[in-house]
Amino acid sequence: MLKRYLTIAAALAILLAAAPIQAGKVNLTFDHFYDGPAMLQALEDLHQAYPTFTDLRSIGKSEEGRDIWLLTINNQATGKDTEKPGIYVDGTIHGNEIQASEVCLYLAWYLLDKYDSIPMIKELVDKRSFYIIPVVNVDHRWRFFTDPGGYNIGRTAMVPFDDDRDGLVDEDDVEDLDGDGEILQMRIRDPYGGFKTDPDDPRVMIRTKPWEKGEWRRLGEEGIDNDGDGRINEDGPGYLDMNRNYGFKWQPPYVQGGAGDFPMSAKVTKAISDFVMTKPNICFDYAFHNSGGLLVRGPGSKLAGMYSPRDVAVYDYLGKEGEKIIPGYRYIIGSEDMYTTHGDFDEFMYSTLGIYGFVGELFMSEQERYRPPDDKPEKEDEDHSYYGGTPQEERQKFNDNVNQGTMYRDWKKFNHPQLGEIEIGGWRTYTTRIPPTFMLPEMVHRAASLVIFTARQAPDVSLEVLEVKDLGGGLHRIRVRAANPNAMPSLSSKAVSKDIVRKDILKITGSGIEVVSGGIVMDLQFDLVRPVEYRPWMIFTSVPSFGKTDVQWIVKGKGKATITYDAVKAKNSTLTVDL
Amino acid sequence: MSKWIAAVLLTIACICTTGSLSLAGGKDLGYLAPDEIKAAVEKVARENKDLARVNQLEKTSGDRDILLLELGRENSQAPAIMVVANMEGNYPPASEAAVKLARLLVGDWSDELEKHRWYIIALGNPDGYANFFKTPLYNSYLNGRPVNEDNDDAVDEDGPDDLNGDGYITMMRQIHPEGKWLKIEDNPVLMKRADNGKGEVGQYRLMREGIDNDGDGKINEDGPGGCNPGYNFPHDFKHYTKTDGLWAASEAESRAILEFAFAHPEIAMVLTFGRTNTLKDVPESSRKASATQDKYTLPRHFAREMGVDPEQEFTMAELIEMGKEATGMQDLTEEMVLQFLGVGAAVNPDRNDLPYWTEISKRYNDFIKEAGLDGKRLKPQQFPTGSIEEWSYYQYGVPTFAVDFWTLPEAEKKEEKKEEGAMTPEELEKMSNEEFIALGNEKISEFLKASGAPAQFTADMVIQGLQSGMMTTKKMAEMMRKMKKKEEAGGADETEEALLAYNPAAFVEWKPFNHPTLGEVEIGGMIPYSTVAPPADTIRALIDKQLPFLRALAGFLPEISIDKVNVEKRSNNVWKVEAWVINKGFLPYPTHQGQRCQRPTPAVVTFTGDGVTMLEGKPRVVLDLLDGSGGNQKVQWLIDAPEGKTVTISAQSFSAGTDQQAVSLKGGDR
Repeated sequence: MLKRYLTIAAALAILLAAAPIQAGKVNLTFDHFYDGPAMLQALEDLHQAYPTFTDLRSIGKSEEGRDIWLLTINNQATGKDTEKPGIYVDGTIHGNEIQASEVCLYLAWYLLDKYDSIPMIKELVDKRSFYIIPVVNVDHRWRFFTDPGGYNIGRTAMVPFDDDRDGLVDEDDVEDLDGDGEILQMRIRDPYGGFKTDPDDPRVMIRTKPWEKGEWRRLGEEGIDNDGDGRINEDGPGYLDMNRNYGFKWQPPYVQGGAGDFPMSAKVTKAISDFVMTKPNICFDYAFHNSGGLLVRGPGSKLAGMYSPRDVAVYDYLGKEGEKIIPGYRYIIGSEDMYTTHGDFDEFMYSTLGIYGFVGELFMSEQERYRPPDDKPEKEDEDHSYYGGTPQEERQKFNDNVNQGTMYRDWKKFNHPQLGEIEIGGWRTYTTRIPPTFMLPEMVHRAASLVIFTARQAPDVSLEVLEVKDLGGGLHRIRVRAANPNAMPSLSSKAVSKDIVRKDILKITGSGIEVVSGGIVMDLQFDLVRPVEYRPWMIFTSVPSFGKTDVQWIVKGKGKATITYDAVKAKNSTLTVDL
Repeated sequence: MSKWIAAVLLTIACICTTGSLSLAGGKDLGYLAPDEIKAAVEKVARENKDLARVNQLEKTSGDRDILLLELGRENSQAPAIMVVANMEGNYPPASEAAVKLARLLVGDWSDELEKHRWYIIALGNPDGYANFFKTPLYNSYLNGRPVNEDNDDAVDEDGPDDLNGDGYITMMRQIHPEGKWLKIEDNPVLMKRADNGKGEVGQYRLMREGIDNDGDGKINEDGPGGCNPGYNFPHDFKHYTKTDGLWAASEAESRAILEFAFAHPEIAMVLTFGRTNTLKDVPESSRKASATQDKYTLPRHFAREMGVDPEQEFTMAELIEMGKEATGMQDLTEEMVLQFLGVGAAVNPDRNDLPYWTEISKRYNDFIKEAGLDGKRLKPQQFPTGSIEEWSYYQYGVPTFAVDFWTLPEAEKKEEKKEEGAMTPEELEKMSNEEFIALGNEKISEFLKASGAPAQFTADMVIQGLQSGMMTTKKMAEMMRKMKKKEEAGGADETEEALLAYNPAAFVEWKPFNHPTLGEVEIGGMIPYSTVAPPADTIRALIDKQLPFLRALAGFLPEISIDKVNVEKRSNNVWKVEAWVINKGFLPYPTHQGQRCQRPTPAVVTFTGDGVTMLEGKPRVVLDLLDGSGGNQKVQWLIDAPEGKTVTISAQSFSAGTDQQAVSLKGGDR
């Protein structure tokens, strides 16, 4: 009787472990943005629906006391998370770059929901661990939905800072003067202001020629001069740019604006770096931002030095495929093609910990085009050329005829307490760097596909016995190959050259054998072997991108010999040979 | 000195009679161990409740406290001086000095606490310092966080081993084909590196005493502990060293001190007690510069875009002008341009701060001479990267002075025959450029020959260099010293020679030992810590003589006040009010580097008055920088107010005092 129960229990256990995870358990749609509570709710729903595949926990609290949520996706039936190559994905380190979080959420949902129906996803989820932090800047992304924001407000961490160095802290913030719930732009009539009304579209202002009189002076974002220093909105809350606060070649604020007092001085950067240090299996990170349609790799600054050709080859492979996965996006090098950044997250991951990584700058203004696909705009938008360059007039058409006028607020008169009659209006909060919601579904899917493609390229190392040769006199020569069919090597060249990560260990053991020598085979045909002088049973090495590492041992004795491959960033494996 | 020899003899006598082992550990030499330093600090607070409090800043990985002793009256608003001692963790005199300073400040010097607050961290790296009190004695400054130094499959598995059981980890030497070292003739304890260029063939290999515990062929490569927080601060931090941490401020000790400092803007000055001395020699401004460069070139692609030669050099002022032109940004700052250029942080003292440092250094050296402590001694540590003293000047922006209290006296050199025209670096340094040029071509040629300058250096070239400012006598002296070092490397190490002269008992005689894996070796050499730790009684006497100068440094702090207020009637009910804010202290506020790094917040002048309308001027005016010794700025307002009204002008700062003056509006026309 007892035996029968045990058998049933065992069968149940097997069933449970192998139980398919059900698709459609959580219905998430991506035609809207998830605000603070909704994002958390969605993560909780995913965790509840897939408890054995997910772990949801807070890795720390922000400056304003909000939890930083980490969703781990790992199939426990195929091993502990740290035994598999880890893929780290985060979003919205800059609190106003909100759509990055939808990408993270979609990725998590897709990996879980499609586990059963798409074989490639099943294989991937079984072989990798995903560490997803959908919202890094929990304070400002939360506030983006609750406070009257503006697209340039809310990038930073809520660290009090005396921006204007007058001894008062955060005393001159923006104000929603007209109470419409948004912080828009202000302008005032001024013939010497440098701008005039566009004759083709009265909403648009264009620069005057030097010999022309103008109509308008731009005053920046809505607000008043709270501290009486003659400047408006120059010392608002928040200051620290978390993507300049990380620890590799960090530079102080006078060299790198927003750097913070010292590396990892912000609560969130500290929490994330502490977390990352507990997961040495992470071999890749994707950090999502907006905007510009860019896949950015380091170096972020000249100080970080050149990347080695071998690592560049890995980046190039992933980046150039990425350009095709999201058409229009460009794969670039931060310091060379964009601007210098010191202390950014990716540089920290790569140069300090030897982890490859990209920044994904989501969405580009070119997508707001209002013309046939192969038609090029005649001129670039001089105010927003960095974000892609769809001219203002064309954007207005896109606004009128594709978004039914919801993207722009027409200029309206307002009596400013300090400046008198002004006008308030302009591009609204959910525009410019944020796509219209009808574009979201494709954006999140393509960006998630980018991560999925990259995750597939993490190292999968397999062992194969090439040869067991009897050398006579009780000696055997054993040759073993560790091969990796993917783009990412088992260790980055940076990790190896700077001795940052423990190397992979190829080890031979057996009770009846004595290891006489061991080494790395440089050339199989010519028997060129680089011997290991000490501890010959344990060879420290790594397995290259799309390549292999061959090792050999000469052993004395007989019986079983066990060969193990033990790696920090790839899955371990074992095989045995009979001598 | 005789007392020290007596102490050594006595200890040796003890060894002979009792067989006791360690004679150079912290306890034996009479130093306070980490727990005793903690007790001493807590005692100061306990016995002086009105003047002293203890803050526990952090616990280390070795479970020891980082304590900060706050001295001053409870509600004091006075500027503070932060003292951080023994951050490196292996410099015993530093903690002794900090404890003594604390005792003096609550005792005989308590009047000083009416003027300033003092924040004293007597032991910045307690885990590292604990090693000085362990047997066997092993020189290590690492904190308790385990690090896998050799990146193998085990952590902290291959530390030193006291093979001969004498209580010290010294050195092993063995005759070996790979040997690079030689015995020194007529000197039984010292070794020298063989100079192949002189035909010397190395004979011995030198290794630290121990065994290869993990069988990887390396001895003692992964001992206990991890990181030295003393080099873990964020200025000029070095990555990839294993011992300095993975990134700046990664260690509990350094992070705790940084957090405290940034939360306390009243800190006006930082003093560090450790292996560096910036009072004896002012830090030079000769390091490869970045943010303090005189001229810059533009990045290639920007130069192309702007149509300028990428080789052409521009001053910062020119670049700011060009930038304004190109971008239309009128508020373009130096910081933005530096970032755009992609150059790193400042690494040389700001030239406008240097005169202050030089004068204070001069006074220090006079003081040391007067105290009879100016004997020739080995150079203190130079420019430690990632150190707290570098950080507190370059990033925290406050005047910072490092003091070391002691290094070994220089060993007396055998009189060398002076060649015709020869000059010591010291002699050369004392000459001005003009004086040197005045020696004339012939004399300079002789000098160059005598000092072994390469043949391509002609007198003409040197003169030209001096005239153009490319070269100075000081730089030449520095070059000579470096050259000399190279030569001496053929002989014994300078420090070892000095130690041998100072205390012959600081060396263990080389004795054969049968090593379990290496076979026949000899064990011997310098006893750990002997170059940094004379008997505590000796060092305490020296510290007592030096502390008064450190106390006096507080007297150099900037001190802001309103010097004069002028009221002038411009029209009916219209007044011009002028105020001169002056810095009566010796040092500037902030330092010039502080102005660059935006720390501390500059002084602010505020204007208040009921029923006053401001016609010109602002109610808050920021004074970017007030130079030292009377540096001042004028602030003025034009106001509309009835005669007889009182207006108040106040000058405020976080760490240089505050002042206020109320004036009544009256007086004649201009």
